Amino acid sequence: MNAATVLERIAASHAGLAPGLAGGPAWAERRQRALAALLGRGLPDRRDENWKYLDHARVAEYFFDAAPRVAVTPQQLKPHELPVTGARRLVLVDGRFDERLSDADGGDGLQIEDLGALLSRDPAAALARVRAPGEDADDRFALLADAFASGGVLIRAAEGAAPAEPLYLLHVSTAAAPATHQARVVIDVGAGAKLVLVEHFIALGAAAALGNLAAELRIGADAGMTHVRLHQHGWAAAQVETWVTRLAPGSRYDQHLFALGGRLVRSNLNLTLEGQGAECRLTGLFMADGERQVDLYTRIAHEGAATRTVQDFRGIAADRGRGAFNGRIVVHPSARGADASQQSRNLLLSPLAEINSRPQLEIHVDEVQCRHGATIGTLDPAQLFYLLSRGLDPDTARGLLTFAFCQDVIGRLPLPALRATVEALVAGALPDRELIRGLL
Amino acid sequence: MSDSGRILLDVRDLRVQAGDRVILDGLSLTIRAGEVHAIMGPNGSGKSTLTGVLAGRPGLEVLSGSATYLGRDLLAMPPEQRAREGLFLAFQYPVEIPGVNNVYLLKASLNALRKHRGEPELDAFEFLNLVRAKLAGMRMDESLLNRGVNEGFSGGEKKRNEILQMSLLEPTLALLDETDSGLDIDALKLVAEGVNALRAPSRAIVLVTHYQRLLDYVVPDRVHVLAGGRIVRSGGRELAQELERRGYDWLRAGTAAA
Repeated sequence: MNAATVLERIAASHAGLAPGLAGGPAWAERRQRALAALLGRGLPDRRDENWKYLDHARVAEYFFDAAPRVAVTPQQLKPHELPVTGARRLVLVDGRFDERLSDADGGDGLQIEDLGALLSRDPAAALARVRAPGEDADDRFALLADAFASGGVLIRAAEGAAPAEPLYLLHVSTAAAPATHQARVVIDVGAGAKLVLVEHFIALGAAAALGNLAAELRIGADAGMTHVRLHQHGWAAAQVETWVTRLAPGSRYDQHLFALGGRLVRSNLNLTLEGQGAECRLTGLFMADGERQVDLYTRIAHEGAATRTVQDFRGIAADRGRGAFNGRIVVHPSARGADASQQSRNLLLSPLAEINSRPQLEIHVDEVQCRHGATIGTLDPAQLFYLLSRGLDPDTARGLLTFAFCQDVIGRLPLPALRATVEALVAGALPDRELIRGLL
Repeated sequence: MSDSGRILLDVRDLRVQAGDRVILDGLSLTIRAGEVHAIMGPNGSGKSTLTGVLAGRPGLEVLSGSATYLGRDLLAMPPEQRAREGLFLAFQYPVEIPGVNNVYLLKASLNALRKHRGEPELDAFEFLNLVRAKLAGMRMDESLLNRGVNEGFSGGEKKRNEILQMSLLEPTLALLDETDSGLDIDALKLVAEGVNALRAPSRAIVLVTHYQRLLDYVVPDRVHVLAGGRIVRSGGRELAQELERRGYDWLRAGTAAA
């Protein structure tokens, strides 16, 4: 399917679907604007610097009609759930907030709102809460989400709130048949609040589904947020996500991303350190094995003085997998005293696998500390020999070393029970998983 | 099985090249069960190349000669098979492997050897009890088990960790590559105790060292001097003391004259 056909298909799907969506004339107009902007700009393609590592022909195969509503029971979720003790669970099923499966009561300074319900009840309030995508080159999939905007969740932590237990946001793709689903997540962390969010993507079925998530995160002054993101999309699934994240003065954001699922994954993070002294620490790990493609794009803008970034992303490609890390850090003239470090470390486990790593620094002011580095390599022969000399067979030794490469970022997860689970999931996703299973 | 006096390792006229340099140049050496050998020599004489080629380190090319271990061609075996057949190398520079827990390695290693010998794998309980006993013997803290292999270990801790692995794996032929270097006297005594505890009629131990210090605590049956890629002199323990007194230069002069 070529690009023009894809756009026609999106337009046709929109024409059939949009009149039935909630939100009144204001939202109808907004969706129409988003669609027009998307049709005008077209979808990203290979000529686009920020999108050049993605196999767009493959992405084009994923534009299906919207997923019909499917009922999901708590029993279906059980085997997938992460051990986040005491967490308040929020569930999106194919992008729609599921009230029955969610624990959406307030308390602890948290306010949870079903975007779909708000669209019907108070379209104006929904308009105010959900930012329309801008003109950013990486917002095109957010435009797609806006054109079909109908569901999602709004999360607000009040000023000074510090919920005792984490929030567990579960994105469920039913994937019973090929379908596209759009989701919206908007998170406001009030000034001085502290929030831990564990975000988890799972699939119940094995069909080729495209999930498109448009998300906004605003972290208020002196607030802190820890955000664990675990991708376990289905093996035939595609996922695109676009995060727009802003940090106010003195705030801190820690993200731990584990991209372990999906046949085709594109993650965009557009993060701005707006206020003085704001700080983000981003760790990431992707695994591209089989025929999978994982493409992580991050753009971090330092606007405030004395802002700080520590980014450590790791990637593994095996078999015919393809991985990409494309990360840009921009230090604006206003960001005097900024400190940024960006590391991309990658492991190639097969001659047919491919990894592209492009860390980039763009600095517009003196008196800053910026470092970056990228490595793409194979396993260390000295470490390998050490393990062999202890009697381990070569495949087990390689499996352990590959796991060790991941362990470094897993070890930084703040919740011990979750750390153990992620450890097991990562070990289970490695090429030599059978061999090292008994050892961990 | 292997009784005292049986030949464990027989190296004949071994020539080994690393990069474009010939490092071992006609080395011969016979090691019998029950023996402790010390191989001494100045820096650059080929000591680490010898232990490396016997353990199967990559990057070393055997030009000619042979090494027979328990009657079989050692050089034809991949490194993991040598380990499973009971050969153990204590590294001069133990490799740090952050992210692989010490305890994973010990378990994987012990079970690989047991499986090879047709013995059942130890269950978690038996394994931990065994490791705890060995740790206590090396006066190592149990917390080391859950740290990355050699990660952030001091020089002395790394060497003790090698001996810990050795005492757990109970090799038939142990090669200790400068295990004494960089150790303070207390650590040296611990290492020596670990080595002495392993002495048995069925085993042999080869201590490769630059100094004779370790040999005050582990008394060797045979001492060899390695220089210019071959054994230039062999003798009893008194040879080590002579080397300590006179250095290596007189031997080099001797080889040149001979």
